[in-house]
Amino acid sequence: MSDAWRLPPLAAVLVAVVLIVCAEAGGASMVRFKVELTRWARGVMLAHPEVHGLVGVRDVDERILDEALVKFDAGLRLFHLHAEGMGLVILATTAVAATLARGRRVRGVMIALLTAGGAGYPLGYLLWSWLIPHHGIERGKSIAEWFVWMPFGGAMIVALWWLAGLVVLRLARR
Amino acid sequence: MTLRVLPLLAFVVAPAPALAHHVGTYTPQDNELTTNFKQVKFSVQAGKFDVARRLFEAGALRAQMRAKAATLPPGLESGTRAALQAGDAPEVERRLMIFFAALARDLALEAGRQLVDARLAPEARATAGPRFLEAIWRYYNLIDFAVAMRDDKTSVAMRLAFDEAEGYAKAAAPAGAGLSDALRRIAQILTHLIDTSSTFARRNP
Repeated sequence: MSDAWRLPPLAAVLVAVVLIVCAEAGGASMVRFKVELTRWARGVMLAHPEVHGLVGVRDVDERILDEALVKFDAGLRLFHLHAEGMGLVILATTAVAATLARGRRVRGVMIALLTAGGAGYPLGYLLWSWLIPHHGIERGKSIAEWFVWMPFGGAMIVALWWLAGLVVLRLARR
Repeated sequence: MTLRVLPLLAFVVAPAPALAHHVGTYTPQDNELTTNFKQVKFSVQAGKFDVARRLFEAGALRAQMRAKAATLPPGLESGTRAALQAGDAPEVERRLMIFFAALARDLALEAGRQLVDARLAPEARATAGPRFLEAIWRYYNLIDFAVAMRDDKTSVAMRLAFDEAEGYAKAAAPAGAGLSDALRRIAQILTHLIDTSSTFARRNP
């Protein structure tokens, strides 16, 4: 087997690059539209007082709204950070998989898991942010966990352990 | 072989991200009233009465004192301003204590009303209790030291009543009669504190 690095499939590279682009665009939008985003989130929360447990007393409600807005902002920030990081992780890990995984099927599954898991996981933070004004912090988190973080994060973790095992195997066979 | 092991591995590892992913932490911030209170208090403690007076006159405390004048002891706002003008730190502290006690009392009364409001869903009443208690404590906590210095029995009574209310709020059915009673007791204690402190002021201008 050659020692040369192999390029991952172009589809995986495209996903990684688009993810990084989304991260940068998301970060820029957070700054540019901070006021509009906050106003939108606050408006949606005030339209659903029962979801957030608002009681109609400013001294009580301000704290609830403030916490939800902080978490809303945190979700956007975490999307920005994770999307940037996972884009690079996809590029690095799929390159390792493309180089070291021999079987076509194994390589394909591994790259698919790394790409889908890496690209999907950050979107959970975006989803969570969007869900907070509509469904509240905890319920929004629960939905994002079950539909995005667990399946995509799980896929990424499985694929990374698999890849680690593969590297150890190659090392042992040298 | 590897592909057969994969689903099993996924089953074992998949729940981990849900437990491990981080979503940030929230540190409660001061609202405009508590911020202004701290500004005035620290300026007074530093002996900077001119700074304290400016902060009071332009700040949320004075605006709120005016807005709530109907439920506050008469002359609270003008008296606070006069005390700042005169450089009378204990009097400023006493008047601010009365103000925050009144805010906390109003919250306790409103909480009591909402807890027995049949128009609200049981879930809404259940979540309202702890949230009102948090807001009550946020205001009372600012003045507890001043209360204890003047009337330690009231301070202890308030703490006991609050502990009791928190216990009921954390119970399975927080909107029950126990929480309403505890909130009523909090309101009574604070009303007593406001009355005695205001009476004292009238006797010793």
